[in-house]
Amino acid sequence: MNTNLKISNVTKIYPGCIANDNVSLEFNSGKIYALLGENGAGKSTLVKILSGVIIPDEGSIYLNKNNLKLNSPLDAKKNDIGMVFQHFNLFETLSVFENLIIDSDEQRESLREKIEEIMRKYNFSIDLDIPVLNLSAGQKQKVEIIRCLIRNPKVLIMDEPTSVLTEQETSELFLSLKKFSEEGILIIYITHKLKEVMQLCDEVAVMRRGKLVSVSQIKNENLESLATKMVGQNLKTIKKKKASTSSDQLINITNLNFISEDPFETNLSDINFSVNRGECLGIAGISGNGQSELFQVLSGEILSDKNSIEFNKNYIGDLNPQERREYMVAFSPEDRLEQAAVPQMKIFENVALNNFKSSNFFNNGLINEKKIREHSKKIISDFNVNTDNIDLKSQFLSGGNLQKLIMGRELITSPDLLICFNPTWGLDVGAINYIHETLVNINEQNKSIILISTDTDELLKLSDKISVIHKGKLSKIMNSDEVTSEKLGILMGGGEID
Amino acid sequence: MIIDINFIGLIIASIMASAVPLILASCGELITERSGVLNLGVEGMMIIGAISGFALMTVTGSLIIAVLGAMIAGVLISTIFAFLTQTLITNHVATGLALTIFGIGISAMIGKNFVGIPGKEFPVLFEGLKDTIPLLSPILFGHSIVFYFAFALPFITSYFLKKTKIGLIVRAVGDSPESASNQGINVKFVRYACILYGGAMCGLAGAYLSMIYTPQWIENMTGGRGWIALALVVFSTWNPIKILIGAMIFGGLTIIQFHMQAIGVRIPVQFLTALPYIVTIIVLVVISRDSRKIRLSTPSSLGKSFHKDN
Repeated sequence: MNTNLKISNVTKIYPGCIANDNVSLEFNSGKIYALLGENGAGKSTLVKILSGVIIPDEGSIYLNKNNLKLNSPLDAKKNDIGMVFQHFNLFETLSVFENLIIDSDEQRESLREKIEEIMRKYNFSIDLDIPVLNLSAGQKQKVEIIRCLIRNPKVLIMDEPTSVLTEQETSELFLSLKKFSEEGILIIYITHKLKEVMQLCDEVAVMRRGKLVSVSQIKNENLESLATKMVGQNLKTIKKKKASTSSDQLINITNLNFISEDPFETNLSDINFSVNRGECLGIAGISGNGQSELFQVLSGEILSDKNSIEFNKNYIGDLNPQERREYMVAFSPEDRLEQAAVPQMKIFENVALNNFKSSNFFNNGLINEKKIREHSKKIISDFNVNTDNIDLKSQFLSGGNLQKLIMGRELITSPDLLICFNPTWGLDVGAINYIHETLVNINEQNKSIILISTDTDELLKLSDKISVIHKGKLSKIMNSDEVTSEKLGILMGGGEID
Repeated sequence: MIIDINFIGLIIASIMASAVPLILASCGELITERSGVLNLGVEGMMIIGAISGFALMTVTGSLIIAVLGAMIAGVLISTIFAFLTQTLITNHVATGLALTIFGIGISAMIGKNFVGIPGKEFPVLFEGLKDTIPLLSPILFGHSIVFYFAFALPFITSYFLKKTKIGLIVRAVGDSPESASNQGINVKFVRYACILYGGAMCGLAGAYLSMIYTPQWIENMTGGRGWIALALVVFSTWNPIKILIGAMIFGGLTIIQFHMQAIGVRIPVQFLTALPYIVTIIVLVVISRDSRKIRLSTPSSLGKSFHKDN
């Protein structure tokens, strides 16, 4: 039976922002639809409306001409709409089986049979009796998909499903989605990744700032045309110059190990690498393979053996982050609001936070507010932070602006080495472009970067050398012009390449 | 000295009797905490149960009304906690502490008229079998119904959490209220229910103290047992069977140190009094030291408010 899903004049207004502005769309089964847009374009709001998590202010939703009243996630489920959220809705400490049966009224035995049948049919292999926290991100997503499939959904919505997957897992997912589509499930695929839209989907709807911009057939589009629609303007492409072949070693890591007492952290074993001046070393990997631990060891949040880190001919392995900053190392952690900035503090207070010794922000223990304010204003104008108000609490900055502020704070003292961890995670295309430009500039000034990122394209674009981290071990270091995203994908999944 | 084998049985029975209120309150609090709510008002709810039970027994003369009334009183006072933390989204820790202070105060006020009144005898079960088996008879027979219920409760609780659908939902809410809410589970309802259940068990634990264990009303008669119950939940890593072990060790050492003091062992009294607390915690820490299992059984959202906004 054909499924027809119609969104009619949906509007959702939040204080200060129209998340969905009179959006109307129609979907038919047999096709895979892409909903494309930047962060904040309103696509997540729209799918949350479809899944009953958010109730729209105006508008209605029709499934096969029936007007649906979606007041809770339960209503969406009852109406055969399945949804896989970007942030998994799983219970980490419960077993896979318990996660799957929690919203079902059927008998455990018959459910187990049903689940095993689904897994056989789509070639999923997951141990049902281990806790979810032992699964990889790809497996967790499969659990979410199985949870939807148990209910024989008519509609399956995938919200940014590949942000946590490897190249291989992504192609597996695409195969499954195509199979679901052939079996008559209507698939709506939400993403901001243009390549995936071109690879997978039949039709694409583009959203920008809460409005529907266009609906078109994929065969009439290409990467550039979609990018322009999504961003609303042409973006300049960032080109990295060929690496300066400097052999002046800046940082050298030898035999670095980290054994964690927390069983849910990754141990680092035998890390060795060096970075020369003017170079960018990229570290690829699927999140959770030791990147966070590596960043903490490099930044001094976790101390290591004094001799394991040699920076500019000094041994700094046993120094804390503040002491390492004295040697002109700068850090941009992954979590902007939790690790890099204090959300409840004002912009200028956040700026003051990490420069205490080398700057003259403090006189005899008193705060030199005037100096800090001047300094903050300079960062805001030099680094394009889109606000004039340095008294704004930093939690109210958008991700892009906050990242720019943090980069500005770290870079204004022109450090020799910047260590950053997923600097563009969750940012819109414009902000990503700006950050990439900044990183290229750093290299051009003969300063170095260690870029830990889960975004393979970003790494290929910016790095001179690339290594892959898998289960706490680094692969050999390769020149970035020798590697492809496929090769990286194999290494990220734990495979071997010649 | 010849020790009668039945005397050992009697000592074990008295240890078990002293463990009863701890088991009841801990198992109730365990369900509350498994749903992600940290209720530090255990002591307050127990003492409210104690005075309600004793007062109702004196006034109505009915033991059933008294026991049920104590449980209802526990439910009522925990409703205050539930309303504050779940509906008004107040801080769990501060609200729980306030509940304890409130409970101790109001029980002392109501209790003024009941000081010195003798309690009633509570009927015991299987009294006729008391002399049938040496050693085991005093342990197994001749106890109140609350006693038998308390020793079944850890197993019932364990079964409930592991094997039933509702138990699964309680654990899911404690693990991730956001995910649970997105799955269509009414998080507030589940948490309300778990808080109220915890209140009922604490009320029963209090009633056991004032009606069965030492049948009389003394101001502040729970004497910190609520705090021990709370500690048992945490140190048992939210495992009902380990609560049973912990409560027995605590009860056992409390009784034994009394006997040691009576015999006149040359150990400072302060040390003997502290012994049950120290040993119980050490033993529970040792049997629960697998950090993987701790992570798996700790309710991840414990003590965090959950508010769904649209």
